[in-house]
Amino acid sequence: MSDKSPLLEFNDVHVEVEGKEVVKGVSLKIYPGETHAIMGPNGSGKSSLSNALMGHPLYTITKGEAFIKGESILKMKADERSRAGLFLAFQYPLAVPGVSVANFLRAALKSHRGEEADMSDYRGLLKKEMAALSIDPSFATRYLNDGFSGGEKKRIEILQMSILNPAMALLDETDSGLDIDALKTVSEGINRYQDETKGLLLVTHYQRLLNYVKPQHVHVMAAGKFVKSGGPELALKLEDEGYDWIVNNSAVGA
Amino acid sequence: MKQNPEYLINEMSPQLHRGPDWLKAMRRSNRLGFNESKLPPRGIHLWRYTDPRKFMLAVDQARDSDFAGECDTVASTETEHVKKGRLAAFVTDLGGRDINVLVSPKGLPNGVTICSLSDASEKHFDLIREHLYQLINRKTGKFEAMNGALWNDGIFIHVPDNQIIEKPIHLLREAGRENSAAFPRLVVIVGRNSEITLIDEYGGGSPDRSNGISFSNGAVEIFGAEDSRTRYVSLQRYAPAMNSYFTHRAKLKQNASMLTIPLVFGGELCKQSFGVELAGEGASSKMYGLLFGTGRQHFDNHTLHHHSAGKTNSDIDFKVVLKDRALSAYTGLIRIDNKARTCEAYQENRNLLLNKGTRAETIPELEILNEDVSCSHGATLGSIDEESIFYLNARGIDKSTAVRMIVGGFVQSTLKLVPDDLKERLSEFVATRLEAI
Ligand SMILES: Nc1ncnc2c1ncn2[C@@H]1O[C@H](COP(=O)(O)OP(=O)(O)OP(=O)(O)O)[C@@H](O)[C@H]1O
Ligand SMILES: [Mg+2]
Repeated sequence: MSDKSPLLEFNDVHVEVEGKEVVKGVSLKIYPGETHAIMGPNGSGKSSLSNALMGHPLYTITKGEAFIKGESILKMKADERSRAGLFLAFQYPLAVPGVSVANFLRAALKSHRGEEADMSDYRGLLKKEMAALSIDPSFATRYLNDGFSGGEKKRIEILQMSILNPAMALLDETDSGLDIDALKTVSEGINRYQDETKGLLLVTHYQRLLNYVKPQHVHVMAAGKFVKSGGPELALKLEDEGYDWIVNNSAVGA
Repeated sequence: MKQNPEYLINEMSPQLHRGPDWLKAMRRSNRLGFNESKLPPRGIHLWRYTDPRKFMLAVDQARDSDFAGECDTVASTETEHVKKGRLAAFVTDLGGRDINVLVSPKGLPNGVTICSLSDASEKHFDLIREHLYQLINRKTGKFEAMNGALWNDGIFIHVPDNQIIEKPIHLLREAGRENSAAFPRLVVIVGRNSEITLIDEYGGGSPDRSNGISFSNGAVEIFGAEDSRTRYVSLQRYAPAMNSYFTHRAKLKQNASMLTIPLVFGGELCKQSFGVELAGEGASSKMYGLLFGTGRQHFDNHTLHHHSAGKTNSDIDFKVVLKDRALSAYTGLIRIDNKARTCEAYQENRNLLLNKGTRAETIPELEILNEDVSCSHGATLGSIDEESIFYLNARGIDKSTAVRMIVGGFVQSTLKLVPDDLKERLSEFVATRLEAI
């Protein structure tokens, strides 16, 4: 894998939100074809890291470097990062009243392609991807996330990923809020997306997602740092034993 | 035209001498109502934000004036739409001087009348006497009296019982250019179990302040009989140097329903009042307004829902988008009489301020005289939330497109209620106002 260059790379990244440092120097490289998972206790900085990488105005990277396909993203605005190939499925997707799912995605696709998608091609693509994720066709004309249930929002995030087909996707707790059947459908969607050209970073609390979407690398984040990395077996151990054994044995103070 | 704060309506004004004796007497009485009343004091709530002197005239009558080009454009498309049957009728009202009615080749349902008020005062005198000045007259206010005296000609629509007009009727009221004054007037009577959709469009006026401003003072009276269904859309798209004053009043009998959509875009200074009295059990009124202000436009809108009968319900959602240094004041009054039990009344005013320097005021007023009601009101005021913009950015959409989409979303729920015939033009109005973002 080292003959390829990483899709996402960040070195010693520190993130500040509301004047508080919540990510305290993390580094990672994700190569094409790789799936990584970040696990860790509530409040350890997983979402802050994801948001900062995506370019959220509240989360500033105060130190360190980050690259998409070798290109530094620190000076890029969020929309430029998206067009450069980064995608973030949000832990708490916002509602956009008055903007339908179909129109929203059409605008997103237009900004990625630099031109309006042909209407019938687009309709076909949307219909196909919605069917693949078992999303009822009526959602196309509903306002984005407006009144959607928690699980419906997560499915729509994955629909957006499938349509935009980014090189590098960060999925922040896409599994939480999903019922058992939905978890399976959504995981299948993620697996359809993933191939040897794509990178995937999953933030999750549960092994159950990792039963479907298999990571090669698992990282544990606690108090703003990666305190342990390992293979898929690490996730299984966490499921059984919790975080205490790592957090207590590491040098990181909470 | 420079306004004269001491302006009085001259006895010799030609409008005062139009129509049958009864009408002349009404006009004279309205003239006295205007001349004998003082300018409303600024301290009174409804005049806190707007100077009443701005609606006074310098001269007695509208000077003959050209009409703007947009009038012709709208007229030619709408004439086509009538021919194709997309509209039931298209009526043009040029400064109250010339009322022209074009009816769809399919014709109108039996007994439906669309004509000028002057024709109606001859052919339908009893209906005119029973309805004209019933809801808007010298007692309503000084400027209502002004229209009551000075309207020249207006539009009359009567739908007898049990008639459904499926396609909209479009009224285009064109005010003259600089230094002109228009006094549009409309009376609509919707019979029992009948249905009508009206698009009442106001355009024209002075395009440029340096040549002089223009003035308009309009009045609309609508009567909904038992079980009638009325949709009334008012579109105000006056030219930039127009001062306009407008009063709308409707009265609903048992089980009548009404949807009122005020769409407010134009002019320099615009004060409007939309009011519906729910006077019969089971009556229901909804008002969904949309205002978009840019530049230094000044808007002052009132809504009034007066529940005078029990088991009535009303709902208002008045949306405002402001850009540059535009100002909007909104006063929403809900009045529920003591005898009007078991009513529901809701009111909401949402203001989206696109930049600093805009100003929105919202004043809810409740006069609820019994306990057996369910009522709520709310107002929001704010800029577009950064989180929402970020969400769109994260999908590759740049900031200005994101803002346009979010504002488009904000106004969407109102636009989707507008008749198809108007939808496209409205989206354009909104889009042009968002272009500069
Ligand atoms: N917008 C914000 N304003 C203030 N504090 C914030 C904000 N966002 C995050 N924080 C703080 O930063 C820390 C890290 O939060 P973050 O959401 O990144 O954790 P997380 O690892 O994603 O947790 P969870 O597993 O619960 O989703 C927390 O202490 C949180 O309170
Ligand atoms: Mg989180």
